[in-house]
Amino acid sequence: MVSPMPLDQRRAALDGLRAALAAGHRGASPEAFTQAEASVVRSGLGSLDAALGGGFPRGTIATLEGPPGSGRSAVAARLLATATAGGGLAALVESPNGPEGAFYPPALAAAGVDLARLLVVPAKDAAGIARAADILLRAAAFGVVVIPAVALKATAWTRLAGLTHRSNALLVALGVAASDELRYFASLRVRLQAPAVRWSGGTGLFCALAGIEVEAAVLKHKRAVPGKRARFDCTTFERDGAPLAAPRECVVRGVAAERTIAL
Amino acid sequence: MSVACALVPAYRVAVARLAAPALRERPLIVADKLERGHALELCPRAYDLGARAGMTLVQAAACAREAAVAVADPARERALWERALDALDAASPLVEDAGNGTAFLEMRGIAGSESHYVASVREAFASDPELAALPLAVGLGPNKFVARAAALVRDGTIVRDGDERAFVAPLPLHVLGLERATLERLELLGVTTLRTLAALPHGPFVRRFGAEAARWHALAGGVDDAPLVPRVRRLAIDRSLFGEGTAEREDQLLFALRTLVARVAEDLALAGKRCGVLRLEMECEDGERHPLQTTLAQPTSQTATMFDLLRARLEGVVLRSPVVGLHLAAERLEDGGAKLSLFANRDPDPDVVGVALARLEAALGPGSALRASVVAGNRYEARVAYEPFVAAHVTRSARAALAAPAHDDARGTLAYRLLAPRRVEVRVRGGRPDAVGARRVLEAAGPWRVDEAWWAEALDTGGRPIQNDAYDVLLDDGALCRIVNERGRWFLCGTYD
Repeated sequence: MVSPMPLDQRRAALDGLRAALAAGHRGASPEAFTQAEASVVRSGLGSLDAALGGGFPRGTIATLEGPPGSGRSAVAARLLATATAGGGLAALVESPNGPEGAFYPPALAAAGVDLARLLVVPAKDAAGIARAADILLRAAAFGVVVIPAVALKATAWTRLAGLTHRSNALLVALGVAASDELRYFASLRVRLQAPAVRWSGGTGLFCALAGIEVEAAVLKHKRAVPGKRARFDCTTFERDGAPLAAPRECVVRGVAAERTIAL
Repeated sequence: MSVACALVPAYRVAVARLAAPALRERPLIVADKLERGHALELCPRAYDLGARAGMTLVQAAACAREAAVAVADPARERALWERALDALDAASPLVEDAGNGTAFLEMRGIAGSESHYVASVREAFASDPELAALPLAVGLGPNKFVARAAALVRDGTIVRDGDERAFVAPLPLHVLGLERATLERLELLGVTTLRTLAALPHGPFVRRFGAEAARWHALAGGVDDAPLVPRVRRLAIDRSLFGEGTAEREDQLLFALRTLVARVAEDLALAGKRCGVLRLEMECEDGERHPLQTTLAQPTSQTATMFDLLRARLEGVVLRSPVVGLHLAAERLEDGGAKLSLFANRDPDPDVVGVALARLEAALGPGSALRASVVAGNRYEARVAYEPFVAAHVTRSARAALAAPAHDDARGTLAYRLLAPRRVEVRVRGGRPDAVGARRVLEAAGPWRVDEAWWAEALDTGGRPIQNDAYDVLLDDGALCRIVNERGRWFLCGTYD
């Protein structure tokens, strides 16, 4: 005759079985690829981080692609904010006289960037941008480095990818579209567009820009499942005035993928 | 007469005129900076026109319209005064540096008459041709205060022992160097000269004006007990490497540089100092000299840090002939050790950041490592200021480290990109933008008017005060821009992204 197992032992066995099932299930699901906190830079935008499996992976090149007005700079600003808020340094390489212009520091500050810990490097051309990125990544002191997505040779991207991996930094390339070389070397590609722009108030003097709605699509992800989408809002950085009225939407139809700002 | 005073009245003005001789005939205002600056010092003619030190530059220029403005150069002022002090060493073994433009010399025990003392000070000063061009006044008296007052009254004034009280009695109160508010209080009480001040009863005067008034009262009687303080000698640490062959290749040059840096580091360790600036000079075979100055992220005496920084700085240098000599000077010397943060293990290493900054400067030129800050302004462009990024500030305070916020907001913040203003064609319908170039305007917000007055420092493209209307426009292709109408001409100034 077999005596029944004591109750506490039966409970322990049941808990063990549950844990094994959960582990097995988790191992077979996409969520298993979720990055550990320390290995990613979170944007703080919940839906985007979820779509990326936790955030932007450190030690890689990521691209933020989209036309001007699509919210790429807003996402980059949040990454810079995360890097500086955690006590680290971040760097921003830009071409102030180029077609994309220079980041506006008050907007960065409103996004949470600690400007005292942000190194701004003005560069004139693609070679200068590559050189600056090389120096910054080699120092391994900057958690996030944002550069314009310029067309560089594959050898330059190979070098930058190696340095990014060694320094465990996140190199973010920002542009309308990524070149073939950049597409190859980027571990993460996110495409953004703004399907709607929000205005508050009536028209003219009584109208003000309230923000945009951003749609992000993960085109490529080497460490998580690509193809996911996220939607989030970006509000204007000028907070000194209360909204004049409830926001109203202006939907932009047929957003040109290759839009530029050369008017 | 034991003390001589060498005084250069309005020293900053004198140095500015030395740099620009064309300004000698004009009233001159010396300011800290041209943009939003303040008047630091004036020549008597500018003072007579109504300008005063402490005024904003716009106010001072409005008072003295014909006055020229020069920007103060503290480094040059200090360097020149150091040379003056070195020259004055020839007149006395004890020289006190009382700030730029004023020095006291101990003349007790020096053979000669009073007039000889004055002549020897003047002669020492004139030994340097550049110093000789400065307007020097020499005074002689039994103590520092009387000697300075003598120099202020007239060049070459000699006040003998026992005459000091009578000499200072008719002088105005401002020779005491009192604050303006204190002077006004004393004038309200009818005290306008040192004689009337000295006549006041000591006890009640000190009780009313505080402990500091005891010294004013003594000075008004020609009594100054303050001893002369010998000036601190500047410690110079520099080493040279010459005559040991030439360096034709990079590795040879770096080997020599490492040797030189090690010697300087040894000198620093012996003196118990750390240096904040390294000045390297390379002498080439063709006689050309290449000076290089680099600032350390934080003062150090470590060989590796100094060498890394210099090597990074050398990356941007092209030499046309072999190097025959190196000279390295350590400057901005400081005592003590490096300050460490409580959270140092989490902070970036300032030395590493310093090397990266030096490399950036070598690769991209000066002004390539900046820190942005937000300032008050009417226009978007005027709300931004840039300054050089300083690696020494990367270490956080404990309070800041603990207060590191985590922002978790479902919403982002719209960014804005400043563009160099470019002309665009805008079609206006009903007083509002209807099309920008070939693109239709779907929505427009504005205008937001900026109308700056005549005293504003920024001017528009036509050299007039800025007057414009800004609009935020959404174009039919989805671009979200800020366009500005400046007196009928339209400019694209930025995009939201």
